[in-house]
Amino acid sequence: MKSKRKRKGWVLWAGLLPFLLFVLAFELLPLFTLLPSVFIADGRLTGANFQRALTPFILESFRNSLQLAAVVAGLGVVLGTIVAYAMVTTRNQSLRNALTALADVTTNFGGAPLAFAFIITLGSTGIVTLLLKAVGIHLYPTFRVYSIVGLAVAYLYFELPLMILVIIPALLGLRREWREAAVNLGASNLKYWTRVGLPILAPSLLSGFLLLFANAFGAYATAWTLTGPDVNLVTVQIAALVRGEVQLDPSLADTLAIISLLVMALCVAGYQLLNVRTQRSRT
Amino acid sequence: MIRRDGWRPAVLGLFLMFMLVPLAATVLFSISTRWDRTIFPEGLTLQWWFKVTERSAFVDTLTNSLILSFVTVLLALLLVAPTAYWSYLRVPRSRPLMDILTFIPFGIPGVVLALALIRFYSNVPLPLINTPALLVAACMVISMPFMYRPVANALEAVDIRLLTEAAQSLGAGWSKTFVRVVLPNILPGILSGCLLVFSAVFAEFTLVNLLVGTRFKTFPIYLVEFTRFDGRQASALAVISFAVAWLISLLIIWVVGRGSRPTEALGAR
Repeated sequence: MKSKRKRKGWVLWAGLLPFLLFVLAFELLPLFTLLPSVFIADGRLTGANFQRALTPFILESFRNSLQLAAVVAGLGVVLGTIVAYAMVTTRNQSLRNALTALADVTTNFGGAPLAFAFIITLGSTGIVTLLLKAVGIHLYPTFRVYSIVGLAVAYLYFELPLMILVIIPALLGLRREWREAAVNLGASNLKYWTRVGLPILAPSLLSGFLLLFANAFGAYATAWTLTGPDVNLVTVQIAALVRGEVQLDPSLADTLAIISLLVMALCVAGYQLLNVRTQRSRT
Repeated sequence: MIRRDGWRPAVLGLFLMFMLVPLAATVLFSISTRWDRTIFPEGLTLQWWFKVTERSAFVDTLTNSLILSFVTVLLALLLVAPTAYWSYLRVPRSRPLMDILTFIPFGIPGVVLALALIRFYSNVPLPLINTPALLVAACMVISMPFMYRPVANALEAVDIRLLTEAAQSLGAGWSKTFVRVVLPNILPGILSGCLLVFSAVFAEFTLVNLLVGTRFKTFPIYLVEFTRFDGRQASALAVISFAVAWLISLLIIWVVGRGSRPTEALGAR
């Protein structure tokens, strides 16, 4: 009896087989085959590839990518939360709905069209550049849209709405009574936020930061269209290696890929853990 | 003195400006005769739109993008939806595994997936390297969370086990149960999954660029080529891309309501 049920269990699992085979063939196995060439050289397990891969040029690409992702995620969290707070506290219901719909749509914009929209807007003869010039503000040459600063502005375009969508549920969870209680006990506005509001929001803010960080770190199409090879980012380096623009060095490409996967995995796992926790505490 | 509530319109106004000015600028730029010396366009014209849509490459790349998106949506649907249903109904113990497997692609940058597939399939005796077939598989991997999450959420929301048991106790067979009872109930989830996958694949640049290069040109590839060659015509193409993304997002909101987009489901970056 028991063995029969067990056999039936295996038959049931077989229903998932096509899906599992697909995942194995196009997701897991290809990623795992990157590992040997990273850790094995001359038939021995070694970290030599890491040492060889981390030239000053490659280290700079990691520094740029991490810095860009951190700045964009930080600005996205702060500005996104402020805008989201303004949205949830506005009395105009239809304005709030319209803005949420706008965030829903724009967070999906990205890549080449977005990069090009920013060239038209903030490029050297861009529309905003010309407007500001007319009132006496010269953006160029201090600011260039084709630089890492320009990239940060373009990334914010899809990160800001993403943060707004992620933080709105947490902001709606802040009860008005908590604020009234704090005020009744003599707390100032600032004190309410530092002692009550922000500590409650902290897990959501952190998970938002990790989501935005991963999103910016893995981005490629926007960077490639806006700055080409001018800004040294990890994803740009990996893509150049894949296309064979630089001399093909498989273990170098694989090492860069594995380190990026590690960065992404940390962010995404942290995001997921925090999310599960806040969802559990909310129900 | 600033009124106490004055900050709210200011914040929302700045946000609206930041989100809308680049879009409005792109639209206006695509219908201007010349707009790089003066504050306002020197004149209005539709010639860039005519020029760019007249090329045979425009129709070809648009067709390629539509084919790629439709094929990916169809295959992703056939692979993911029945598996999700089976996992929910008959193998509940597999759900954590399914959740993890469909969540992983969310953490794989496009460039890394492309590299992994190229390195793997150039060492395996399968004629997949440099083919659109491998591109479709890669697009299916990247868009897996987009299809799985909405379908899984829909399955969870309607208590699919109860419905299936009710249908079968009334004498319906498996196929009848699935087509007549399960499918209509999870249709919003399926539609939203399909639309999300379509929108992401239509805008995909990285995987196409690295996996098939110029062998199979899609619309975003065509757009990037134009940005380096003729900005005005490129701006018309950018407007088309925005319009497609906008239309699909509105369709999703219309089909399943706002706020149903899973955060894993992000567009091509």
